[in-house]
Amino acid sequence: MPFNARITMPAEARAGDIIEIRVLARHPMDRGGQSDGKGGIVPRKILNRLTATYAGEQVFRLDMNTGISANPFVSFTTRAVETGDIVFEWREDGGATYTRTSRLVVT
Amino acid sequence: MGNPSSGREWGRGEGLPPGRRAECRSPGRHGLAFQIAGFMAFLLAVPASAEIKSGSAFLSPEMRRQQDDETRNPAWFWVEQGEELFSRKPPNAAACVSCHADPKQSLRGAATHYPQVDAASGKLLNVEGRIEQCRTERQKLPAFGYETPEMLAMTAYVASLSRGLPVDVKTGGAAKPYYEAGKAFFERRQGQLNLSCQQCHDGLVGQKLRGDTISNGAGTGYPAYRLEWNDVGSLHRRLRACSLGVRATQFDYGSPEYLALELYLAGRAKGLPIETPGIRR
Amino acid sequence: MSSPISPRSGRPELPTRRAVVAGGAAAAAFAVLPARAQQGEPPQPLAELIARITEGAVPERGRIVLDIPQLVENGNSVDVRIRVESPMTEAEHVRWIHLIADKNPFPDMARFHLTPRAGRAEVATTLRLATSQTVTAVAALSDGSYVLADGNVVVTLSACIDGG
Repeated sequence: MPFNARITMPAEARAGDIIEIRVLARHPMDRGGQSDGKGGIVPRKILNRLTATYAGEQVFRLDMNTGISANPFVSFTTRAVETGDIVFEWREDGGATYTRTSRLVVT
Repeated sequence: MGNPSSGREWGRGEGLPPGRRAECRSPGRHGLAFQIAGFMAFLLAVPASAEIKSGSAFLSPEMRRQQDDETRNPAWFWVEQGEELFSRKPPNAAACVSCHADPKQSLRGAATHYPQVDAASGKLLNVEGRIEQCRTERQKLPAFGYETPEMLAMTAYVASLSRGLPVDVKTGGAAKPYYEAGKAFFERRQGQLNLSCQQCHDGLVGQKLRGDTISNGAGTGYPAYRLEWNDVGSLHRRLRACSLGVRATQFDYGSPEYLALELYLAGRAKGLPIETPGIRR
Repeated sequence: MSSPISPRSGRPELPTRRAVVAGGAAAAAFAVLPARAQQGEPPQPLAELIARITEGAVPERGRIVLDIPQLVENGNSVDVRIRVESPMTEAEHVRWIHLIADKNPFPDMARFHLTPRAGRAEVATTLRLATSQTVTAVAALSDGSYVLADGNVVVTLSACIDGG
């Protein structure tokens, strides 16, 4: 299953406005522990962290465990400060990372 | 909608047709048999719903909202993947889009006419079957295979192009024998629980079966993201779950039995809008 | 939906079915084992789970709202939204919000880390709940105190579980 993400947020905001950012990710969030049919155990493979960086610093971080659903939805807020990219990064068990970027124009 | 099924006639309290009476256990000295017979009588006494409703009509308002909200419905990832596959040119073969240019227009409504009888072969094809036929016969590529991520993405994409348009399948003419076979399947008691589709999906619609609300069995949201699966799956995957639920034979993906049933269900759902990609429990 | 009663009230600590089966088997094989070993490890009480993340501090109720359905049709994806009353300034803000489901195999579900730049302390996600249970949200505030809200969720099952 290819990772994918859908980020929904306003393209524009006035300085000082609080915007809601909605993030849906495509990921099975395998909680592991099942038999692999060969005498072993399927390892856990989930997205264990989502971070959002905007205007020079991390503005949000979510640490996730197996209690977060497959294809997880996340919503959070940030205050519009300057025009720039909001960079989203997911970290997967095993070390892989995925990034997406959304631009926010601040007027 | 507006498509009468004789199945509903015996839901109106007129009793079983003579041929079926023998299958119902008679109340005897055995208490359990008596209870079962009583339950069956109850099944028959429930008036059938006047019209077929979409599966989403039986969801909670929250889940219906989630289905309609592209920021929340994960099935759109499969639609996006399908759109990408549709336009990507495979090595040594033409892309789908090279024949089906501007699919948003050219394929709009296409899925509403499936399953349909293929004119050349006389076989009943659903959207999966048509895509596979295109792929092997025209693109000369290996088949995707039923229920592969690629096939689910392609069917979700193609069906999504008909979103909002009413189901409009042909049930007469060349399709009639398939439709009749599907209807017979729907009405036939099956499995260890000796239940027909009809007993629940006509007779007990709107009532509870464990945590579920029994629907009319309309497939208008498929391929759909099912919470049970944490994944997108085809209507045939859902039908296999139904078969397992009544402890009956699970037919193969794309089997003649499920294809005929798919046509019958689509015939019952005529006029309902396509909702793909749906969300279901 | 937060309940004024103790989150543990009316929830006697019962051994799991697996523990009972294992305990029964163990009892048959080694009848001399002490009773406690036969019962297996009980689930960690919620109070301990909370104390661990608050370093012993007891969170107060109020100023935090946990929005979660009382009845869900499937535990695989349960909407949850948490709001904390906070101006989200440098001087006064929410540092993090932690979610606990004490009957999940891994009770610690998630932690949202916030900064004053969030503007508002309001987050949402989708949870996976193994069974009917209490979901607890604990928020750590910048003054070193903690607030808590919880909600009881009944998880029903869909009718036709097909195992794949």
